[in-house]
This record gives sequence, C-alpha cells and structure tokens, in this order.
Amino acid sequence: MKAAELIKEDLWKNNPVTIQVLGICSTLAVTNIFLNTLIMGLGLTFVTGFSALTISLMRNIIPQRIRMMVQTLVISSYVVIVDIVLRAYVPNISKALGPYVGLIITNCIIMGRMEAFASSNKPGVALLDGIMSGIGYSWVLLVIAFVRELLGFGSILGFQVMDPLMKTLGVSGGWVQWSFMIMAPGGFFMLALFIWISNTLVQRGSAQNGGGE
Amino acid sequence: MKRVLFTIGFMAVITAVFIAVLAWVNEISKPRILQNSKLMNAKSILYAFQHLPQNVVEDALSDNTTTQDLPWDNNICLSVMNARIEQKYVPLDAQDKAMLKNTLLAPGDSATVYIYRNRRGQPVAYGFYIRGKGLWGSITAFAAVSVDLKRMVGIDFTQQTETPGLGARITEQGFKKYFRQLNLEPFLNGSGSARPIKMVRKKDEMNTQNSTTTLQAITGATLTSNGVLKMMNTDLPFYLDLIQKNRMALQ
Repeated sequence: MKAAELIKEDLWKNNPVTIQVLGICSTLAVTNIFLNTLIMGLGLTFVTGFSALTISLMRNIIPQRIRMMVQTLVISSYVVIVDIVLRAYVPNISKALGPYVGLIITNCIIMGRMEAFASSNKPGVALLDGIMSGIGYSWVLLVIAFVRELLGFGSILGFQVMDPLMKTLGVSGGWVQWSFMIMAPGGFFMLALFIWISNTLVQRGSAQNGGGE
Repeated sequence: MKRVLFTIGFMAVITAVFIAVLAWVNEISKPRILQNSKLMNAKSILYAFQHLPQNVVEDALSDNTTTQDLPWDNNICLSVMNARIEQKYVPLDAQDKAMLKNTLLAPGDSATVYIYRNRRGQPVAYGFYIRGKGLWGSITAFAAVSVDLKRMVGIDFTQQTETPGLGARITEQGFKKYFRQLNLEPFLNGSGSARPIKMVRKKDEMNTQNSTTTLQAITGATLTSNGVLKMMNTDLPFYLDLIQKNRMALQ
C-alpha cells in the first residue's frame, strides 16, 4: 500500500473511531476537556507508532504462537514510559487523566494495528501506519472535545469564550453551561452524531467515485 | 522440543530486555516524580493553612482557580514547609480507635497532625488529612483548623476522581472559599445536631461575612457535595477530640 493511500485510510476512509468503532471507552471518558484529550491523543500516537515499529522490526523472529504476548509486552512497556514521562514533566495533566493513561494498553486500536499491519509489514511503513492510526483517533477525539468543552464549560483550552461572547451580544446572564455535555451521555451523543455525519460523507464520497469499494 | 525451548527462551529474553529499559526510565525519572509529588502536597498544605504566595489576594481569585494554578515559588514552598510546618504522630488510645472506625481513614496506632507555626515558633493552626467517598471514588483532603479549634482555616482536596466540570469543582476556589472561617464550635461543645456542618444550595442562603456552619453545594454534583459533607462531619470530630486530648504534645 502506498504511503498516501495509507494516510487516507487511517485518517478518514477506515478511521479507527468512526469506521472501526474502536477506542470508544477513552473517547467518552477524556473528551470533556480539550487539553486532556490532546495529551491522551499524543500519548496514544506515540505508543501506536513505536509499538508498530518495534513489532515490525521483530516480525521475522517472533514465534507465531506467542506473538500476541509479545505485542502486549511491547505496548504496555511504551504505555508505562508515557505514564512516567507525564508524571515527571506534566504532573497536573497526569493527575487529571488519572487511570486513563494506563488504560491505553487496553485500547483496541493499538492491538488491532499490531496484528493486522505491523506484524506483516516493513518498519518504515509500520511506523507510518501506527502514527497515522494514532492521529486518526486523536483528531476525532479533538473535534468532539472541542464541542463538549465549548458547550459544557463555555471555554476553549480553559479560556472562557462563550461568556464574553454572550455579554457582547447583550444576552443577560451570560453563557449557561450545558452540564449534559460534560457528562458521559454528552460524549455518547456527540460521538453518535460525529459517526453519523462522517459515515454519510464517506459513503457519499464512495458513491461519487464509482459506487463503493 | 527445540521450537518450544526457543519460544520460552525468546519470551524470557524479550521480557528481561523490556523490564531493564523500564527500570532504567523509572530510575532516572524517580527523583523528579518524587519532587513533583512533594511540591504538590506542600502547595496543598500551605493553601489550606492560608499561607499563599506573595501578591496573591484571595478575594480577587476567580472561582475556577485551583491551588496548583497559583504563582507558587517552588523553593519558597519547600523552605516554608521545612521552617514553619511540623509533622507529629499522635498515639491513639482505645477510644480514639473506636472513633476512627466511624471514618474512612486508614486504621493504625497513631494519627498524623501537622502544626503550622508563626515566625516566633508558636502554633497558629493544626492540619490533618481527611477522607471520604465521592461519586466515582475516594476523596482525600488536607484540612486546617485554628489553634483554638473553633474555626476552620481552610481545606484543599488532594485526591479525587470526580466528574470534570461538576464534582471535580471541589478543587476550585469557588467551592473551597466557603471553608475559610467555618464555625467548628458545635463540634467542641457537643451542642445541636450530630452533623453540624450543612450544605446549602443557593448563594443567598450563605452568610459569607460571619462564620457559619454552612457550605455551598455544587449544582449538578449532589453526591460529591454530600460526600464532602459526610467526611467533614465524621473526620473532624475525630481530629478535634484527638488534638484537644494531646494539647501538650502538640505545642
């Protein structure tokens, strides 16, 4: 598969969240604050990219019957590294993300890419696939987080935008926060809406290009 | 047989290699992580004792400010902790242990009390960790009380896993400011209700000018607010009683 095609697949046509519906737990859990989502996305992209590279480099020597044990070992090692780095350099965000960093290990996107791609492709292209899968997951989460934080808290990256905007527009009482958006049901609602819109666009694009795959 | 041995050997070697790498990363990061944790605790303790960074006017802080947002100087934090705050272990008798069972605090033979001293070395406040249950998990806070035990000096929530934007707002100034000057006298004279601290829902029910026994609940986070209320009403009597009985040792 060519690099350009691979990027298109991971980011849009076969996006891990909207098409494969993987990594949903963290999608619902961390998307109420944009900054936390950004750090989670960076962490997952790092883990997916380097796990894919490592698995690909060892693909010819890993015994078939223990390949999943090795994949889990590699993934969990990179996750522990991410956790240690966050605790050492951004302790406030590490505290805010709580157990979700450790739970990157259980994210199906990573295991899925190791098994489906990295274990049978060359290191360069496996690294690219890992990074692009991570970015494919992250950008969807960031869009959802942007909307949830904006409506739920009235802010973007912690800076109040809706309250000053409402006051400028002359709305008395300022912005009324949508508490629903901050809670898990708001995440379900946003995710379903996002999947519906993106899948409609993907299908429309396929139809225009000659009736699908 | 050869293939089985290779498989076992491969797994053992690769596990050893990854463990060695992780041990090395952990070892080089450990001092920094410990320092971060020490600093976070120091800032919480100083905030609760109302020892704020210079030039910070508490009344001017926005409601969503957290302790870690304040412009702390790390070196000053640690030097104040060393010079002005003393940690003492108070042994527990049978009555204390019975009271401890009513709380979510860890059982043991002693309890830790922090003494905050003025520049002349005299105690001006006492502090201790209290523990309760929120919506998603346990909540830990550092609470400080005046040396006469009649007023609360402040509180800071050091560990919580509540919903961001709702229950997690217990860590913000808008919630914590109502703990300053909270009236603790009903705990001392045993008058009135067994749970003297109350939560009110509306700001106009608060009397922020005088010391009262009321706190402001968080809208949309009833279970978290109730959890905090419960930990106040169960853990405070335990510590206030303990400090009263061990006045001499805590000078």
